[in-house]
Amino acid sequence: MPAESARRATSESFALAGTTIRRTIVIGWRYLAIGTGLALLLSLILLVATKHGGTAFSMTFPLEIPLFAVLGSMGGLMTFTSDRTKGVFEYLIAYGVRPRGLFTNGLLATAAMSAIILGLALLVGLGAASARGVPLTTDLLKAIALYTVPMSFAGALFTSTVGMIWSSISTPRAGINSPLGIAPMFGVAPTIFVLIAAESAPTVDYYYITVGASLAIIAAVVALLAMSARLMGRERFLSPL
Amino acid sequence: MLSSSAPLSPSAEPPDRRGGHRIELRGVSSGYHGHKVLEDVSFVVEEPAIYVVLGPNGAGKTTLFRTVAGILEPYSGAVKIDGIDIARHEARTRLQYLSHIDGIPDGLRVEEALRFYATVEGATDPAVEKVIGLLGIGELRSRFFSELSQGQKKRVSIARVFLQERSIYLLDEPTTNLDPKLAREIRDLVLGLSKDDLVLYSSHNLFEAKEIGKYVLALRDGKVGYFGLLSDLRPTKYIIGIRAEGAEGVLSSSDRKGDYYLQELAGPEEVPKLVAELMAKGVRIREVKEMENPLEELFA
Repeated sequence: MPAESARRATSESFALAGTTIRRTIVIGWRYLAIGTGLALLLSLILLVATKHGGTAFSMTFPLEIPLFAVLGSMGGLMTFTSDRTKGVFEYLIAYGVRPRGLFTNGLLATAAMSAIILGLALLVGLGAASARGVPLTTDLLKAIALYTVPMSFAGALFTSTVGMIWSSISTPRAGINSPLGIAPMFGVAPTIFVLIAAESAPTVDYYYITVGASLAIIAAVVALLAMSARLMGRERFLSPL
Repeated sequence: MLSSSAPLSPSAEPPDRRGGHRIELRGVSSGYHGHKVLEDVSFVVEEPAIYVVLGPNGAGKTTLFRTVAGILEPYSGAVKIDGIDIARHEARTRLQYLSHIDGIPDGLRVEEALRFYATVEGATDPAVEKVIGLLGIGELRSRFFSELSQGQKKRVSIARVFLQERSIYLLDEPTTNLDPKLAREIRDLVLGLSKDDLVLYSSHNLFEAKEIGKYVLALRDGKVGYFGLLSDLRPTKYIIGIRAEGAEGVLSSSDRKGDYYLQELAGPEEVPKLVAELMAKGVRIREVKEMENPLEELFA
């Protein structure tokens, strides 16, 4: 019986996460469109600007994608704040979902949104580059694997985490002066700091810094959420309405 | 003031035990951000019935429901469901909770929203179809929740309560925003539940409370002010209104409220005698109704 109960709880957790991701895509489609659209637009501009055999695309493309992938966090954050305000969390907690689970769902939704932006940007960007004759060098692929992908997720998850914690401890506000309005700035900050750190430490392998920073950011995200879920009273997740 | 033959102790325990289920609060203090809303609340509920939770705004009704549902962790004391601490998942699976907030997620159509909660609750797909039929929301199933009227939203929200059968129902203002016909249907559904299950039911509508409640749990300033049988509540005065023709000179016109002549009696048992006397004097009585609800005094 305990095994059956655990199996059902796991199945319900997956189903809840799946529904949250699907809802996030519906709620945050504008951010999805903006993030993907801007990433593709810049990629196309870079391709046009890159002369045959040039390196402008290879040098810049891997760096710009994380800035747009961060927008994926907005969908996750919108779903989180909406669920809190609309009283959905109240029901989920009554059904036994823990605050940690609520945060985890928010992060999974963010990761899914960022993965869509990242995936489409890489697919179309690299496809177009290849079609235009820009060589997909080992360095380009290495930059994507060791900088673009980890920093995209790290930045988005960091944004989402700061936004979720902030919105949980504050009363809802609308507009730019709200967690939703300010969160993107937090999301872009780690990416920019990592870029500056890597560029200003030429003797150290660039990718040690980017991968290390990504791991550190993700560790900070996990620690922040674990601490918040433990320390925050459940009333933080109730609708203030 | 109210008089009652039922025990007024906050830990009063109704005598019957038929359903085998039990809600028990012992010395519970609970609230928000360290601020106590409920203080030292104790009661035991065992008999299948509707327990109407009453109290003025801010008395702690919603806080009580949230604490019993395990949403708020009490600062002190214990909440047990069938003897199991509410912190344990096993206790929560015996409860069904309806908040005064709709709690339907954004971005979902009505049917999707019900399936969402069915998934969370471990209910089956046929259960979703059943509640759609039960609440008569078939025509809403493909519409986004955000597009619905307040009454329609409430119906969808209530539908969730019937997704999974439970033994204990916590219903916080279930008929708010509903038209009278639907409110009646919901009350009938809840009355059906109360045959076998424990139902805690909060309402601001005193006439509704009197109509469906068997027990009353009145909160005042976060404490239990009264807990006992509704039938044991006796108002200190019993006032009826009589709408009648030909009553001039028979009934005093100085005690009128709208179309009704007001009469103060010792109790409902005096009504037939008064009606007979008035009819004997040629008064054509159209309607007789209670003008005061005994529950009003719980708010005073």
